[in-house]
Amino acid sequence: MTIGLNDYITLSVILFALGFLGVLLRKNTLVIYMCLELMLVASTLALVAFSRFHGMLDGNVFVFFILTVAAAEVAVGLAIIVALFRRRQTVQVDELNALRD
Amino acid sequence: MSIDYALLFRVLLPEALLTATALLVIGVDLVWGRGRSRGSRLQMAVGAGLLGVGVAALVIWQDGAQGSVWAGNLRVDLLAVAVRLGVLGLTGLSLLGLTGSRVSDQPAEYVALALLATVGFLQMAVAQNLLLAFLALELASLSLYVLAGYDRSRPESAEAALKYFLQGGVSAALLLFGFSLLYGMTGRIDLTGISMALAVHSDGSLSAVAVGMVLAAFGFKAAVAPFHPWAPDVYQGAPPMSAALIASAAKLAGLAFFWRIFWSGLGPLAATAPLLGGAGGGWVPVLASMCAVSLLLGNLVALAQASIRRLLAYSAIGHAGALGLGLLSAGEVGPGPLFYYAATYGLATVGAFACLAILDRAGDGDRIEDLAGLRRRSPLVAACFAVCVLSLAGIPPLAGFFGKFVVFAAAFRIDGLGHPAGWVALLAIAMSAVSLYYYLILLKQAWIAEDVRERGPIEVPPAAALGLLLAAGLLVVLGAFPSLLLGRF
Repeated sequence: MTIGLNDYITLSVILFALGFLGVLLRKNTLVIYMCLELMLVASTLALVAFSRFHGMLDGNVFVFFILTVAAAEVAVGLAIIVALFRRRQTVQVDELNALRD
Repeated sequence: MSIDYALLFRVLLPEALLTATALLVIGVDLVWGRGRSRGSRLQMAVGAGLLGVGVAALVIWQDGAQGSVWAGNLRVDLLAVAVRLGVLGLTGLSLLGLTGSRVSDQPAEYVALALLATVGFLQMAVAQNLLLAFLALELASLSLYVLAGYDRSRPESAEAALKYFLQGGVSAALLLFGFSLLYGMTGRIDLTGISMALAVHSDGSLSAVAVGMVLAAFGFKAAVAPFHPWAPDVYQGAPPMSAALIASAAKLAGLAFFWRIFWSGLGPLAATAPLLGGAGGGWVPVLASMCAVSLLLGNLVALAQASIRRLLAYSAIGHAGALGLGLLSAGEVGPGPLFYYAATYGLATVGAFACLAILDRAGDGDRIEDLAGLRRRSPLVAACFAVCVLSLAGIPPLAGFFGKFVVFAAAFRIDGLGHPAGWVALLAIAMSAVSLYYYLILLKQAWIAEDVRERGPIEVPPAAALGLLLAAGLLVVLGAFPSLLLGRF
C-alpha cells in the first residue's frame, strides 16, 4: 500500500479536528494552548503534503513562517497566562468570569 | 521575472519607518527615561509615535496608488492608499487619546506595540498573497493581544486578553487551514492565481470547507455573529485606548484584508460554493445571514446593557452586520461605500473611547449612570462624546449617517430585493431605529441627568483634548462633505 495525498490530508483533518475539539472542551488554559498549536501544526502538514503534490515550494516556505508565528503566539499567550495567574491564581477558564453580562 | 527593488523599498518605507520608530521609542525610553516621571516618558513616547505615524502618512500620500508591486504580491491601489492613511489617522488619534488615559508603568512599550500593530494593519491593506496576508494579520493580532492585557493593575484586563487571544488563535488556525485547502485546490498562493484557478475548476466540498473557514475568521475579525463573543469582554476589560484600536483601525484594516480575499481571491465562488448543505448558493447568502443575525443580536442585546463599554461592544456587533453588508455589495459597486463606513465608524469609536478613557482616569466607573452631570463637569468631553455617539447612531448631517446611507444604497443597487443584500439592508434600517434608543440613553445621562454625587470638574490634558476635537471635527466635516472621501473612488 502506498501512502498518497489523501492519507496525509485525512491525517491533517483528524489532527485539526482534535485540536478544535480540545479548544472547545478542555478547561485548562495550558491544554487549550497545546490544542491551538495542534491546529496550526495540522495546517502545516496539509501545506507540506499539497506542496509535494503540486511539485512546488510555496507550501514548504509557508510552513517555515507558520512555525515562527506559532512560536511568537506561544510567547504572547504564556505571557498573558502569567499576568493572569499573578492576579487570579488560576488558569481554569471556567473560573474566569469577571467579565460577563 | 524581474523585480523593481527600489519600488518595493519605497512601498514598504512606511512600515520600515514605523518599525524604526517603535524601536527608537523603546531605546530612548531606556536611556533618557531613567529616573523621569511616567508622565514625561508617556509624552516622549506619544510624541515620537505621532511623528513616525505622520511621516509614514506623508510618504503614502506622496506616492499615491502604484498598482501591482513585487511581481503582484503587493497591490497598492486606491483602496490600499485610503485604508493605509485611514489606519494611520486612527492610530494617531488613539495615541493622542492615550495622553488622556490612566498612565501605565511602561508607556514606551505600549506605544511601540501600537506602532507594530499598525505595521500589521498597513500590510493587511496591501497584501495580495496568502502568506503575506497571514503574516500581516498575525503581526497585528499578536500586538493587539498584548495591548488588551496591558493594564496589569486590573485583573479584568488580563482576562480580556486571554479571551481575545484564545478566540483569535482559533480564528487564525481556521484561516490558516482554509488557506492550506485553497493552496491545495489551486496550487497558488497569490490571490490572482487562486481566482483564475477557481474560475476554471473548483472541488465542491473542499471549496465549501475552505470558504467556511475563511468566513469564520472574517466573523472573528469584524465581530460578526456568531463569532462575536470576544467583543464585549475585550471592550470592557481592555484599557480604553487598546479597545479603541481594536475597534477602529483593526476593523478598517480587516475589512480591506477580507475584501481582497473574498472578491479578488474567492470571487468565482461568490455564487457557487456549495455551502448551506450543498444547495450551491455560494458564500454570499451565508455572509448575508451572518450579517442579519449580527444586526439583530447586537442591537437588541445592547438595549439591556448597564455598562457603557459593553453597550458600545454590542452596538459594534450591530455595526459589524452593516459593515459585512458593505463587504457583500463591494463586489458590485466597488469598495468606496465600505471604506467610507468603516473609516467614519472608526473615527466615532476612537472618539467615544477617548472620552471614556478620560472618565476612567478621573476615577469614574463604567456604568451608564456614571455619565450623569458630564455636561457640567467637562463641556468639551460631553460635546465630543455627543458628536461621536450621534454619528454612531447615524444622525444627519454627521458622517455616520452618510456611511449608513451609502452602504444601504449600494446594497439595494445590486438587485433591489431580488438579492439577499436588499433584505439585510431593510433589516439594518429597522435596527438603526432601535439603536437610536440606546444611544440616546447615553446622551440623556451625559447631558440632562444631574450628578447626585456632585463630583468635581474633569481635567482634560491638552493633547487628549486635541484628539477629541480632531475626531469630532472630522466627523462633522466628512458628514457635511462626504464627497471628500467618496469622490475619490
